[in-house]
Amino acid sequence: MPNLTIDGKQIEVPAGTTIIQAADKLGINIPRYCYHPALPVSGNCRICMVEVEKMPKMQIACYTPVTDGMVVHTQSPKVLEVRKTVLEFLLVNHPVDCPVCDQAGECKLQDYYMEHGQYDSRLADVKVKKEKKAFSIGPTVMLDQERCILCTRCVRFADTITKTSEFGVFSRGDHSQLDVYPGKKLDNNYSGNVVDICPVGALTDSDFRFKCRVWYLSATKSVCPGCSQGCNITVEWDKSRPHQHKKARVMRLKPRLNPDVNDYWMCDKGRYDYHFIDENRILHPQLNDDLINWEAAANTVAQSIKSLKDAGQSSRIAVLASAQLTNEDLFMVRKLFKETLSGAHVALAPSVPGKGDDFLLKSDWNPNTAGVVNILQPQTDAAQIVQKAKQGEIDVLYVLGADLVKVLGKDAVRQMAGKVKLFVYQGSNINETCSYAHLNLPASVYAEKEGTFTNMHKRVQKINAAFMPVVEAKPDWEIIGLISAKLGAALPYTQAQQIFKDIAAAVPAFSEMTYEKIGDQGMVLKS
Amino acid sequence: MFSAEFKQELDKITNKYEQKRAALLPLLHCVQEKEGLISPETEKNLAEYLGIPVVQVHEVVSFYHLFHQQKLGKCHFSICQTTACALRGAEGIIDYIQQKLNIKPGETTPDGKFSLSVVECLGACEIAPMMQCNKDYIGPLTKQKVDELMGKNK
Amino acid sequence: MEKIASRRFGQDNSHLLASYLKDNGYAAARKALTGMTPAQIIDEVKKSNLRGLGGAGFPTGMKWSFIPAANPKPKYLVINADEGEPGTFKDKYILEQDPHALLEGIIITCYAIGSHKAYIYIRGEYIKSLQRMQAAIDEAYKEKYLGKGVMGSGFDIDVVVHPGGGAYICGEETALLESLEGKKGFPRLKPPFPAIVGLFNCPTVINNVETIACVGPIINKGAEWYAKLGSEKNGGNRLFCISGHVNKPGVYELPNGTTLRELIYTHAGGIPNGRQLKAVIPGGISAPLLTPDQIDVKMDFDSLKAIGSMAGSGGIIVMDDTTDMVWAAMVAARFFAHESCGQCSPCREGSGWVYRNVKKIYHGHGKPHDLNNLPGIVNNIGGNTICAFGDAVTMSVGSYVSKFRHEFEAKITKEPAHA
Repeated sequence: MPNLTIDGKQIEVPAGTTIIQAADKLGINIPRYCYHPALPVSGNCRICMVEVEKMPKMQIACYTPVTDGMVVHTQSPKVLEVRKTVLEFLLVNHPVDCPVCDQAGECKLQDYYMEHGQYDSRLADVKVKKEKKAFSIGPTVMLDQERCILCTRCVRFADTITKTSEFGVFSRGDHSQLDVYPGKKLDNNYSGNVVDICPVGALTDSDFRFKCRVWYLSATKSVCPGCSQGCNITVEWDKSRPHQHKKARVMRLKPRLNPDVNDYWMCDKGRYDYHFIDENRILHPQLNDDLINWEAAANTVAQSIKSLKDAGQSSRIAVLASAQLTNEDLFMVRKLFKETLSGAHVALAPSVPGKGDDFLLKSDWNPNTAGVVNILQPQTDAAQIVQKAKQGEIDVLYVLGADLVKVLGKDAVRQMAGKVKLFVYQGSNINETCSYAHLNLPASVYAEKEGTFTNMHKRVQKINAAFMPVVEAKPDWEIIGLISAKLGAALPYTQAQQIFKDIAAAVPAFSEMTYEKIGDQGMVLKS
Repeated sequence: MFSAEFKQELDKITNKYEQKRAALLPLLHCVQEKEGLISPETEKNLAEYLGIPVVQVHEVVSFYHLFHQQKLGKCHFSICQTTACALRGAEGIIDYIQQKLNIKPGETTPDGKFSLSVVECLGACEIAPMMQCNKDYIGPLTKQKVDELMGKNK
Repeated sequence: MEKIASRRFGQDNSHLLASYLKDNGYAAARKALTGMTPAQIIDEVKKSNLRGLGGAGFPTGMKWSFIPAANPKPKYLVINADEGEPGTFKDKYILEQDPHALLEGIIITCYAIGSHKAYIYIRGEYIKSLQRMQAAIDEAYKEKYLGKGVMGSGFDIDVVVHPGGGAYICGEETALLESLEGKKGFPRLKPPFPAIVGLFNCPTVINNVETIACVGPIINKGAEWYAKLGSEKNGGNRLFCISGHVNKPGVYELPNGTTLRELIYTHAGGIPNGRQLKAVIPGGISAPLLTPDQIDVKMDFDSLKAIGSMAGSGGIIVMDDTTDMVWAAMVAARFFAHESCGQCSPCREGSGWVYRNVKKIYHGHGKPHDLNNLPGIVNNIGGNTICAFGDAVTMSVGSYVSKFRHEFEAKITKEPAHA
């Protein structure tokens, strides 16, 4: 394996590694526009040029393979000078849109300019005008041709990742224009990714347009709850200026690199489905038409359950737990409803099957079906429970995180609600099922709690709380804990991590797993 | 979709190449010869015929200046403006033609008879200043010669 | 002086097969195919000191020897007939008036490099060349000089004429390959070079029209003969093109050692209207300008390199003393701005910027900082680009500014004096 030196640091890498890849491994950041690790090399921006000893001309780091004994300099005066040169050329026709450009604060032109810039600008010229500015090229993305530096990342993304080839560079010279094919739209399920990879503000997100300056954003690592793929994401939010966002906290979602799950990408369905975090939330426990406090809510549930348990009629208790719940939530459900209330019927709540595609999106639009299977281990199915409920054999129906009306229809739910004595709906967002439930309990969304999901490939991945739950909402596991305590079967967990420790002890597939080992990239269950 | 007989004509060209896509430029010339322009319909049909994304056909059409997306006049003047022709009076000829036809480079006369383009070196510096008039190289140009050409093509 | 490439120019129907055969046509091909090995042919061409006559002057035999014989992929020969370098028009004459000479050279070259397929990439504007070349190919196929087992040798060879679309950059060999493959003319990143990864990913030799047209005569008369005609490392003659302010613009076949002075005054009839020489481009627009004190230079590749310019494509453009050099710089800068393919940032943005800057100065709107910045901007393009086009902008436009700076200065608006 070739051994080379970059800026005095040595590293051994597999043959075929390019200089920029070796530098990235060493943590040496060579500036780049057109280079992207997941896309074929283009070599057109020229900003990654470095000095290689024994080679007379500077070489682009993105394309030059390392050789044994190679010595590279990325900070020499010549290299710093050529970076300024390339930046100057890129800025010749670049509009000074910063004050109105969403990319500001995460723009590679700004960033490299600040690091290397030619602060005494000698650009006293008329800039080349391009045809399209602030032009919508599809439902999710806006194009500004003047800001485009023609790095062609988007073209290569559409050609090699989605294989939909929407983009092209037309004409030539400095009149070149990036565009979609005239009349065509960028409307595949991965369109949002081109905004991520565009190093400047040429391709911007319509959903995020003018919403929030990025320096106000905080970022929390999480996992998308949109389907069983479990793409790694970052939840980006701003709590400091609620008046700007009508109290919304989450501004956008971004994919997070995980080579074993989603690489650099996420689908549009997951990316743009975050509004539910801040809209239409169940805010308070509610018994029929009355808002009540948690003490009263927990008592209501506990009393109904206790009377059944004491009468040996736990079989008149039924639970439909959705695959939206975390492993920790599910473990609590198991502890309460399968162990403490053994005899209760526990099943996976039904959900409407979604559509999948041949890339990331899966047709199971739940993040933790594998968690239900491995941890909850339901002994019956939803159909049986619904049947029993309709026939009056269930007194307490406890539904967690599933809009039954969507799957079963209003009539079925109305029927069940009419027959059961206590219909509890525990969930985060208001839906049609809420109006049939007797007791609604406000639960956290995924972004408001710590926990883990298990994806379809049995990878356990961590979600983190970006902020506190709204108003009176609580994590599902905490609500179960409240109820369990009222039954005299205290589950004294104050943190999700403690629950996970017990999962690892109780469920063989999870044995020896810890949050530490799971880290940011997840860990696969034992088979 | 191209008609079956047109496809046969195109096949004759395409079959000369080891990769189908390589026939794109001669095919574009062939269609433009027939129809006078490259329409979006043609781009789609060629993309289909060659099995490549239509955006890449459009890239090629927009990159090479011999392909045009609009019909040109019956007589298309392409006047060379590069060094050898410039040294021998190309600017004067260009100005003269602009005046006489009352159009600017890139435009066509309203009666559809003449189009004017200003181009770079056509490889005929020995007859500078010169132009390509449809298929023919004509030079050295004088105002008289231009008048003759215009008269012939009215 | 014995003419080689242009020996048949001007004859009636020189482009027809019948005429070519009368002139010992295809004898060299027959000799090569039936009496020599590929290795012998390459050796002969190496010894002849034939160098690429498209512009780079790379030793032709050496280029052919880079083709990896053991590589199982098919090999291709591509003839670069894009002839886009301003000042150059010689290949047009070969294509129109002696296409069979090119075909004969192609047959020998293909045999030497193990190729059975040649493409002739002719610029799209050369309608007559395209027609004449196709007609010659049709004749050759009919009489079995092309096709299967030609001239009773068992060697198969096919030749295809391919029209360009109108882009100077397609004269760059890797851009030409991209264009031939049906894409925009974007030069490729190198390495790998075409000898290893060329057309359709296969080993490919790309040579200029004139270069290959000389191969037949070399095989007929021998490498020594050809080498002796030229200078030490530059064999044979050259088709020089001369245009601009001269009395007899045209193509002149002359030995490589001919001086620029001879070319201008002896052969091209000197400068009309009693004017004086001011500047001359010696090798296509990409070549740095020469001034009158430099015209005793010999016109071979090495001599021109030594005085800071290049022999390039052999396209000489003469400028007399009525020429405004700032205007001439603007014309050159405009050419480069129009022909930049736009792939890489320094050339794409730089070529347009330089043109706008020079134009501004020419029209009298330039300020002192515009002129002071110009050399720096021009110099920043070359050396930082994917292909030599960027270097050409730097060398060419840069030479106007450095050699005629006083003319630029004269056009600069002085800053108004403050009261």
